[in-house]
Amino acid sequence: MPETETQPPPAVIRTSPTGAPGGTRRQRPTLTPLLWIGPAVLLIAGVVLLPVVLMFRTAFHHIDAIGFDHGWVGTDNFEALLREPAFGAIVWRTVVWVVAVVTLTMICSLALAQLFHQNFPGRRIARWALIAPWAASVFMTAVVFRWMLDARSGVINVFLNDIGLLPELGTAQADWLGRPSVALWWMVGVAVFVSIPFTTYTILAGLQSIPGDVYEAAYLDGARTWRTYRSITLPLLRPALLVAVLINIMNVFNSFPIIWAMTAGGPGDQTATTTVFMYQLKSSSIAESAAMSVVNFGIVIVLVGLFLRASHGKSQVQS
Amino acid sequence: MTRRLAAALVAATAAVLTMAACGSSDDSTSDGTITLKLVGADYGTGPADTTQKYWQQIADEFHKQNPSITVEVTTINWTDYDTKVKTQLQNKDYPDVLQGVFYPQYATNGLVAPLSEILSKPDIGTSTFKEAFSVDGVQYAAPFVTSARAMYYNKKAFAEAGIAKPPTTWAELETAAKALKAKGYIGYALPLGPEEAQAESTLWMLGNGGGWKNGDSYAINSPQNVETFTFLKNLVNSGLTQPNPATYDRTANAAADFAAGKVGMEFNGPFLTATIASAGKLAETDYATAPVPGRTGPVDQTLGVADAIQAFKTDDADKAAAIKKFLDFALTDEHQLAFAKQYALLPGTQSALDSLKGDPVLGTFAELLPQTVQFPSDEKWTAAVLPAVKKNIGLAVTDDPARVLGDLQAKATAGR
Repeated sequence: MPETETQPPPAVIRTSPTGAPGGTRRQRPTLTPLLWIGPAVLLIAGVVLLPVVLMFRTAFHHIDAIGFDHGWVGTDNFEALLREPAFGAIVWRTVVWVVAVVTLTMICSLALAQLFHQNFPGRRIARWALIAPWAASVFMTAVVFRWMLDARSGVINVFLNDIGLLPELGTAQADWLGRPSVALWWMVGVAVFVSIPFTTYTILAGLQSIPGDVYEAAYLDGARTWRTYRSITLPLLRPALLVAVLINIMNVFNSFPIIWAMTAGGPGDQTATTTVFMYQLKSSSIAESAAMSVVNFGIVIVLVGLFLRASHGKSQVQS
Repeated sequence: MTRRLAAALVAATAAVLTMAACGSSDDSTSDGTITLKLVGADYGTGPADTTQKYWQQIADEFHKQNPSITVEVTTINWTDYDTKVKTQLQNKDYPDVLQGVFYPQYATNGLVAPLSEILSKPDIGTSTFKEAFSVDGVQYAAPFVTSARAMYYNKKAFAEAGIAKPPTTWAELETAAKALKAKGYIGYALPLGPEEAQAESTLWMLGNGGGWKNGDSYAINSPQNVETFTFLKNLVNSGLTQPNPATYDRTANAAADFAAGKVGMEFNGPFLTATIASAGKLAETDYATAPVPGRTGPVDQTLGVADAIQAFKTDDADKAAAIKKFLDFALTDEHQLAFAKQYALLPGTQSALDSLKGDPVLGTFAELLPQTVQFPSDEKWTAAVLPAVKKNIGLAVTDDPARVLGDLQAKATAGR
């Protein structure tokens, strides 16, 4: 054994083959990684940073209806954005949309994760099936729902008509997506549907990381099911819940395909969130649309900041 | 060393960016050959009837006669047309010939050439659209394709509902719609969805002596217009139209529903006949057209719409000559009529229009065209009013008409 531990000499030779002073050698570790990450840095600079810079630049320029740039205009575009009669309603709708989708998703996923955590025959298949809404393209799912809700021949409407809940097809009542107040809630439903798989799996992973002896101890102390859930499962799930909530908030805030495929923000802009409104503005004013993007960008940055802070907190909880 | 590396990174970034920025280059080379870039809208519904083929054929014929000039054809689907052309212009990648929409900003920014410089006969187009395509008295675009609007009605449905003749007033239209609804039809199809809400709105405004403007200033929320949209709101509330007009588009919904025989009446252009023929549900004798009804009598001036063809300025005299030669060639009667027949639209040149007078399908519309009203054509309209109208005017028939029209009026009179 001692002989094998006296192997270092070759290593010494490898580190100073020419006997050159350590100075240049010490630079190598700082240089080589740069070469490796260079392409990635370039990619980020060209694909992420450059568009961000251009977005800010566009937001402060006057760009006319044909795309001709008339130069710097200060905050005119932001003022025009705030003057949009629908702006307040759109911001409020975005809050409702995010809170509703995330809350409903979390409630459904907590229950589902608990279910999938149990041992039951066919659990493997059931877990696989849960992936389906996640694996399918969100846009496709949304388009399928749009046609299922078609006022005259959508399968949901035909079903509601058959069981007598919907008196007549082709009426304003049957045109769910044409009425803004109802359309938003159908879209919330679709958003929850596509968010559940990811959230459930995150929570399920959290559940599986809770050691069984904690439950044993609680059982010996005489804790009942609900008490165990409240005092043991939920607190120990906190890191998983935090990740799930924050990633969902960002996803749902940025969600474009569901709303675009189902109503395109319409009628008018009455089902638009700030993300969809940004796209709608593009048809009238690229610059105002860029201003909306800047606002959205700010919101996302704040959300990311919250996420980073929360994930620091998470490690404290774990240790 | 790190500094050198940083320099290398900067250089590489710059290289990537230049590569991305590169693209357009020499159009006319020293050997005398000229390449013209033509960008046009695609009026087809798929690969089978794409306008790409129409232009390519003209470009090929032209190249045969003028071997030194090649025309590169690009057509863009109408859905993406605006975005793609805007992006192209924003990147200063100007086409030589642009067919589709005329924006007065093309002229005020000095991008397009006056018509007198690009056509041997600048007055070849119908004079109806002269003002719409002019800025400060100079015409910059020629009408390439036009249409007029009329009321279509389903004769079979009318017979079933016991209506003897098409309505000429709003009251008659309401009565007819009630009778049609009782037989299970959509009485009147009201497409106020984003696709072409401005056309449907104009036709109804005209029926009450209203319009977008009063003289030179916008009057979108004039008492006449508010009254018009209140009447429409009542039609919608009584279930005499399809539900939710703000999400109901002209082509995808109204035309398709009429062709499927579900609709009693709707306003549309000559192209509806093509949709009806391809759907195969209604025979040519099952429907007819009539003047657009107004509040007290039929509208004597209906809406006329034109798509433009224009050329971008060039410093190269040879190229300018080539553009002129090509446009003269492309706008001959033969090509104009081929286009009109293919898509059931009206041609843009007066001589081609004249030759359609006896046509069973297009003739009626060709006769309407000279007495038509056009959309506003000022910069404000294209920049701010039109996009807002497309998006929001449909809400006027479910929401409060005065408020929705008032918001649009505010948009039209806001600064800049």
